[in-house]
Amino acid sequence: MPRLGGFRFGAWPSAATLTLVGALGSTPVAIPGCGGAHPSPSPGVLEIAEGAKTSAFTRNFNPLLEVGDMRWPARGSMYEPLLIWNPMSGQFVPWLAESYAFSPDHLRLTFKLRHGVRWSDGRPFTAADVAFTFELLRTHPALDVLGVGEYLRATHATADDQAVFEFARPFVPGLDDISAYPIVPGHIWKDIVDPLTFANPNPVATGPFTEVTSFQPQAYRIERNPHYWGGPPAIAALHVRAYPANDQSILAIVNGEVDWACDFIPAVERIHVGRDPLHHHYWFPAMDATVALYANTTEAPFGDARVRKALSMTIDRPRLVMVAMHNYTHPSDATGLSDAHERYRDPAAVAAGRDWVSYDPAGAERLFDAAGLARGSDGWRRRPDGARWSPTIVVPVGFSDWVVASQVIARGLRAAGVDVTMRTLDYNAWNDSVQKGEFELSMGWTLYSNTPYTFYRGLMSRQSVKPVGVDASDNWHRLAIPEADRMLTQLEETVGVEDQMRLYHDLEMVFAQQAPAIPLFPGPLWGEYNDKRFTGFPDQKNPYAPLSPNLFPQALLVLTRLLPR
Amino acid sequence: MRFLLRRLGFYLVAAWASITLAFFIPRLMPGDPASAMFARFRGRLSPEAIVALRRAFGFSEAPLWKQYAQYLAHAARGDLGISISYYPATVGSVIGQALIWTVLLSGVAVLISFVLGTALGMLGAWKRGGWLDSYLPPVLTLLGAFPYFWLAMAALFIFGFGLGWSPLRQAYDDRLVPSLSWAFLASVVQHAVLPGATIVIATAGGWMLSMRSTMINVLSQDYVLFAHAKGLSSRRIMLQYAARNALLPNVAGFGMALGFVLSGSLLTEIVFSYPGQGYLLFRAVKSLDYPLIQGLFLTTTLAVLGANWLVDVVALWLDPRSRS
Repeated sequence: MPRLGGFRFGAWPSAATLTLVGALGSTPVAIPGCGGAHPSPSPGVLEIAEGAKTSAFTRNFNPLLEVGDMRWPARGSMYEPLLIWNPMSGQFVPWLAESYAFSPDHLRLTFKLRHGVRWSDGRPFTAADVAFTFELLRTHPALDVLGVGEYLRATHATADDQAVFEFARPFVPGLDDISAYPIVPGHIWKDIVDPLTFANPNPVATGPFTEVTSFQPQAYRIERNPHYWGGPPAIAALHVRAYPANDQSILAIVNGEVDWACDFIPAVERIHVGRDPLHHHYWFPAMDATVALYANTTEAPFGDARVRKALSMTIDRPRLVMVAMHNYTHPSDATGLSDAHERYRDPAAVAAGRDWVSYDPAGAERLFDAAGLARGSDGWRRRPDGARWSPTIVVPVGFSDWVVASQVIARGLRAAGVDVTMRTLDYNAWNDSVQKGEFELSMGWTLYSNTPYTFYRGLMSRQSVKPVGVDASDNWHRLAIPEADRMLTQLEETVGVEDQMRLYHDLEMVFAQQAPAIPLFPGPLWGEYNDKRFTGFPDQKNPYAPLSPNLFPQALLVLTRLLPR
Repeated sequence: MRFLLRRLGFYLVAAWASITLAFFIPRLMPGDPASAMFARFRGRLSPEAIVALRRAFGFSEAPLWKQYAQYLAHAARGDLGISISYYPATVGSVIGQALIWTVLLSGVAVLISFVLGTALGMLGAWKRGGWLDSYLPPVLTLLGAFPYFWLAMAALFIFGFGLGWSPLRQAYDDRLVPSLSWAFLASVVQHAVLPGATIVIATAGGWMLSMRSTMINVLSQDYVLFAHAKGLSSRRIMLQYAARNALLPNVAGFGMALGFVLSGSLLTEIVFSYPGQGYLLFRAVKSLDYPLIQGLFLTTTLAVLGANWLVDVVALWLDPRSRS
């Protein structure tokens, strides 16, 4: 029979796509014009590459269905929150609300709303819409992805411009989540029978770009909201094309087809900037969540802080950051904080933990020995019972940066006499094992929110610890530190900035002393832009907002500032 | 007729078996779709939301046999459920959108490859040792022996990125609105030529070789000699006597190939970013989208069985022996 099978099986496509990007970089000049077959953007229309990679778009503009296949503009340009947290300034930018205040007992949070805001159908936006949105979250817990229902009792509109949130218990960090939810129009959504399957094809919203004037599976176009409260945006429209994979969107950025994107690009200076140094720019601040090495504390001997610190001291972080992350970031310090939380960093905690986040093979040997894991006659370290200690580090296949980083970690550990093996697992299998706590060592993300509260809660709180075998979205290493719990509870009732800062410094010190997880590096926020057609993108020189379009709702800060050339 | 009916009965059993496999195979993969989906949120989802979402997305904790019975009942009604990775779109609409492009691209390409390869094989065998017979099979075999993704990548890099002759992605220019206008159809053809050509180049050699060898075998038969002796025109002998008889194995293979069109275009569609079934399957498996995987298995199965049934019919017409 003729062979049709030849093209059904072969090397894995991601390897193939990498080759294309690699080839692209190695011949930057020899490629003749890329016009002709490649469509060029229309004037005044901002071309965006969505973070979601797909070959065909689903028309889903339901801002509360981020869990589904939601289109970027739903939260990027259509539905707006009460406040926008700006990680660059560390402050809230008033948006649909002009100000907020907690009552003295922290049980009431009052938002004063902006005047003159209208929905894109011309109806006024009022506090009733805010109350409606949070009532919707209460009646549909599946939509409440941030879990405000856990501490929120009720939401009222006490005046047209005043929304009041009643708390069941004091929970100050709740402000971050409440203020971030997109507000939907009550006068339209009250008739939606099932908001969980509602795809909202023709959105009515308050944001700068709300009118879907064209929607094809391959591309869509969003035009201006005629009633935008901030005045008509300078950009005529947004145009988003479907890119089935990263290499395709990278190609589009490099070719100048896209104005704004959020992809990881290897050797970005050469591949992207090198093509048009005048207009092609990128900004990768190390402000995403910290990436850490998790040691499962339910598996001996990782319950011992000395062992975790010794592990950390075998890691050559500068080398890891260079080979795995292309030097796009830098090694973490002993607070584990991302650069987004710079203002919380306590120099005392950094100093207290400096020894265990520095590369110090000799110090690691001493600590391992002290923890009862001495080397045997063959040079490999043994457990106290005499058996060779051979932990496994698991890593999801295809995460090439993590695979390389895990190799660097494994090399350091083996040099210190730990017979570690690395195992690559299918992503879903890996995810399953880390969430259930059925692993020994693995790299992983940490949680990220406006303040370090969520980060430390996910790494040290009793509340985040789940039994082995039960899915846990955080605290994969299953460690609870009682004194950290006390500080976290205090933070839930603390409004004063100075008091908060003191508590955060205390938490950092606990982290630096106990090493619950082993921080490696803060993740970079990927963002590229092409200022040939539009100006005003944020970057290192003008850091008024993060660049990455994939960050909701911060993209609104950028969209309302861009100017066509 | 009885033969065809009996085959039909066989196909029904085969369809049931593969629908059943489509249900169980995804469930043997490690992990579960809910946690795979929630992992995207890196812990930002509250535990209450996870519980509620599991229910909303239909991640049932019911015993497997109950889920299976429900699945069969729904499948019988043509209800394939809601896709997880394209939520809240239904599996039917997601597949429907992709199906047309796959059928168009791979269907046409496989057809061209089959006709071209078979014709070349026939001509090659007829003029044995001629230039067609000496040069083409090795060249086509060589091209077919390259790993397909490599061939496709090279074609995309040279003709798409380098020379700019072909678009880099998608099935049509996204500035056009799908319609039956010339501009749109021209754009569809423009986008399909390069991926289609790579399929033809990679597979035509197989058809040619198999046709050529069967044809040579048939040409040495007595009845061909007899036809020559009768003084029939060589054209008639080639087409009516030799090719028709030599065609049988290729037709059987063609049925299989047509069936595999739906699943077989995976790499083509990924390399050329073509919005068809293959790409969909790749994405569905990656995100453990059970309903979509099941739906894709189902359409592929029905396509393979349907194509085979058609082949049965054609074979019946080509080969009178099978009619008795």
